[in-house]
Amino acid sequence: MTAKRYLLVAAVATVIAAPAIAHHSSGPFYDPTKKVEVKGVVTKLNIRNPHSFLYLDVDEKGKKVEWQVEMGTGAQLARNNLTVETLKPGTEIRVAGQPSRAEGSHGMCCIQLLMKADGTAILRGTVPKEPGR
Amino acid sequence: MGALACAALLATTMGAAGQAPATTPAARPAGQTPPPVASRFPDIAGMWNGGTRARPMNSENFPWTKTNFPVLNERGQAYMKAFDEAVAPKYDCVPSSSPAIQYDPYYMQVVQWPDRVVMRYEKDDQTRTIWLDGRKPTIHDYSLQGFSVGRYDGNALVVETDHFLFDITGFDDYNGIPSSTLKKVTERYWKENGELKLTLTLEDPLFLREPASYTTRWLPAAPGYQLEAWECDPESSRAPIKMMVPRYK
Repeated sequence: MTAKRYLLVAAVATVIAAPAIAHHSSGPFYDPTKKVEVKGVVTKLNIRNPHSFLYLDVDEKGKKVEWQVEMGTGAQLARNNLTVETLKPGTEIRVAGQPSRAEGSHGMCCIQLLMKADGTAILRGTVPKEPGR
Repeated sequence: MGALACAALLATTMGAAGQAPATTPAARPAGQTPPPVASRFPDIAGMWNGGTRARPMNSENFPWTKTNFPVLNERGQAYMKAFDEAVAPKYDCVPSSSPAIQYDPYYMQVVQWPDRVVMRYEKDDQTRTIWLDGRKPTIHDYSLQGFSVGRYDGNALVVETDHFLFDITGFDDYNGIPSSTLKKVTERYWKENGELKLTLTLEDPLFLREPASYTTRWLPAAPGYQLEAWECDPESSRAPIKMMVPRYK
């Protein structure tokens, strides 16, 4: 896998099919004015409350780096047809969202694009990080 | 009573979701048939949808806006200024409390009994009991959700809650404002055009210069909706913290 990381302004959101839902509680952790996109291999999907997390291994200049993608509650994922069956370990995916703020961290939230490596869309639009927290 | 115990109790005493039990065994004298619930007090029972169809999602700006944001005293301002997101108890699955839990965008179930009203929140698996029988709190009744008493006033249920524990994020999840053991929350619930309305007023002389208030609503839930278990997972709850730039070293 080749990692590809972009930092773009929020205007990118205009090309996303579904409008982003404001999630201010993600502000301390993720930068809503930027976008990051990576390609990687799913290692696990933890469907939990108050947050579910998707983990993937990403090749960054020959080094394997674990990315942590924050997602919504189990019910929210189910409404978007996202289950552990959808994102089995070993699945190659592209995912884009808001990048984490901490230096050296590898995380994102508020997914704007999630697709398999062959281009099959898994999700397009924002998956709320976790409303109400 | 724990959320699970209460859920079990409700399950064994309720018929269809949202229907109030006719009475409690202890409250009914032998041989007497109680009047229908609806004739004795306003009916606000049911399953209610507090999601984004009902109101804007909670945030720094909702339900507290420029016009109703609380006026903090110096102590409140100092706490808010020093607040560090990483210490928020919610990242260890500590539930939210009044006045935040009422505005969290999830479902709520209301069950009316002759001597109490039970409010069960999908968010954080929380259950509040509002006592209507005149009982008073004791020193053992301090808790995260406080001690609630209620009365019916015309078409409304009025709830007064105190005996809260100090909560570093006791005001809401977003603004870093704490609440003290002197916090008092007054809620007025009524039905209007099939919706459940609430006006909530918050007092806390240790942090607020004057009471603050908001009004919101719930919509009727789809028929057959059942509350989902929250079952917060501490590990995933704290997982986002490492993505944040630490405020304090």
